[in-house]
Amino acid sequence: MGGRRANITLWIFAGVPTLFVLAVLLAPAVQGLVLSFARGGPSTANYAAVLGDKLFWRALAGNLIVPAGSLVVEFAAGLTLAMVLGGRRGHLSALADIAAILPFAIPEIVLLAIARYLFMPRGYLNGALALIGAGPMPWLIPGSPWAYATVIVVDAWHVTPVVMLILVAGLHTIPPELYEAARLDGAGAFAVFRHITLPMLTPAMLAALVLRGIDALRIFSTTLVLTGVEGVPVISTYAYHLWTDSQQPRLAMAASVILAAIIAATSLAGLAMLRRNAWLNTAP
Amino acid sequence: MNTPDASPRWAAAARVVIEAAVVLAAAVPIYLLIKQALTPDLESFAWPPHWLPRNITAAHIKAIFALAELRSALLLSLAVAAAAAMVASALGTMLAYAMARREGLRRVGMAGLTAARLLPMIAVALPLTIVLIHLGLYDSPSGLGLALIHAALAIPTTALTTYGAFAAIPLEQEEAAFLDGASALRIFLAVDVPQAKLAIAASLVLSFIMSWDEFGFALLIQVTHRTMPPLLYYYTVFGDVGPASALALVMLGPAVAVIVALRPMLKSGALKGIQR
Repeated sequence: MGGRRANITLWIFAGVPTLFVLAVLLAPAVQGLVLSFARGGPSTANYAAVLGDKLFWRALAGNLIVPAGSLVVEFAAGLTLAMVLGGRRGHLSALADIAAILPFAIPEIVLLAIARYLFMPRGYLNGALALIGAGPMPWLIPGSPWAYATVIVVDAWHVTPVVMLILVAGLHTIPPELYEAARLDGAGAFAVFRHITLPMLTPAMLAALVLRGIDALRIFSTTLVLTGVEGVPVISTYAYHLWTDSQQPRLAMAASVILAAIIAATSLAGLAMLRRNAWLNTAP
Repeated sequence: MNTPDASPRWAAAARVVIEAAVVLAAAVPIYLLIKQALTPDLESFAWPPHWLPRNITAAHIKAIFALAELRSALLLSLAVAAAAAMVASALGTMLAYAMARREGLRRVGMAGLTAARLLPMIAVALPLTIVLIHLGLYDSPSGLGLALIHAALAIPTTALTTYGAFAAIPLEQEEAAFLDGASALRIFLAVDVPQAKLAIAASLVLSFIMSWDEFGFALLIQVTHRTMPPLLYYYTVFGDVGPASALALVMLGPAVAVIVALRPMLKSGALKGIQR
């Protein structure tokens, strides 16, 4: 298709959605940035107040601990599931396929409601532990390290299917000839995994790691629903707390700008890492 | 798939164990949710917990559907999701088409779509609240403000879902129509859209579900005229077990139906642009 008129149509097609997204998502974020520096004139007072708040530092720590833990759990589980379910068909496989994607299909808020009932002090998990004479564990007790572990596991539970799907797609790109050659050389299952599957899967893993890592930093609902703001504070719930409970909109915006800056820095670092691995150049 | 044929017996056994664990991990929590929705609250608070229901009751289901709060939340959620899906699919389809036809737009578009996903919800939602208050769309009974936000959030997904379909259409077909004197818009509507209709349908379904599931913006913007996710949040945290579980089941239905239906596309990696 050629011609000037066609060109104009294409530019409109690209421009209208772009402007819409910019107006709805980016413009408010910029306004938030401006407001976070305002207190009757340009000022850094809002940031000083946030940085002087003990709860902010707990939230910052939580915003590093929970995403890091969640990434470890979801990649270990996602890789295991991709290897098992991406492989040959067994009788359970069709059922397991659906079951593996289900946590992702369940609306986040429903998953979190279920998690509350599983992990609450007199919930099903402690009930199951009691059956074998163990527990009860303080899964959701504020301030307990177990509360962090619970939040990490629940967060990972929800997104493991996404990691699995990306890794299954990565597994499909490995040429069968490599496995053929390894078998002819008499390589064992572990050697094949270590020397073929893992290195060939690295590009997909890195891409998934960057995408998921950025997403994990945005954690909000999981900690809000499971532990409330104080139990396992993260920056998003801390800002929400400043906004609703403390009625400090400027401080809330300063906190959320700090989070956006952390995410932007992480994204740039992740992008640089992907570039170095030359993955972007070969991706569709 | 490409695993070696001669996988040892222990590997097959491990596969069965892991598959069984996956099925149980998905089935048990949902079973417990259904059980709670159908048994009296006294049973749900029992210690040690009951694993099997002793009395079945439809009381919770009846009770929540008798609530004006639920009926308006259900209608609002459906309306917001339908509006968001239509806007996101229309705009995402346009963007995907432009990206598929011009290499320069593709590069810029892909980078922009990735960047649009980076902003944390809270950094957008708080200042957006102020904008919506000025526009009279904050906490509006129509849910229009929330629908526009959900549409913007879903555009990266709808664009990436439909991009492949447009890229696969041979340019010769467009050229034939162009020589016949058709305008670019007419070519898009008559030649391209019909061939991409499956992908467009998938993008409608996906963006509908994204809106149906979305919690953070809904919580901050629809503070009294609630949609389903914030309503369930308040019931879960402050309400009783039975009604909250019944509400959760109402939310679960459409979401699970849709994703199970889309499963073949998910597995093929065609929808790997999906990310919340």
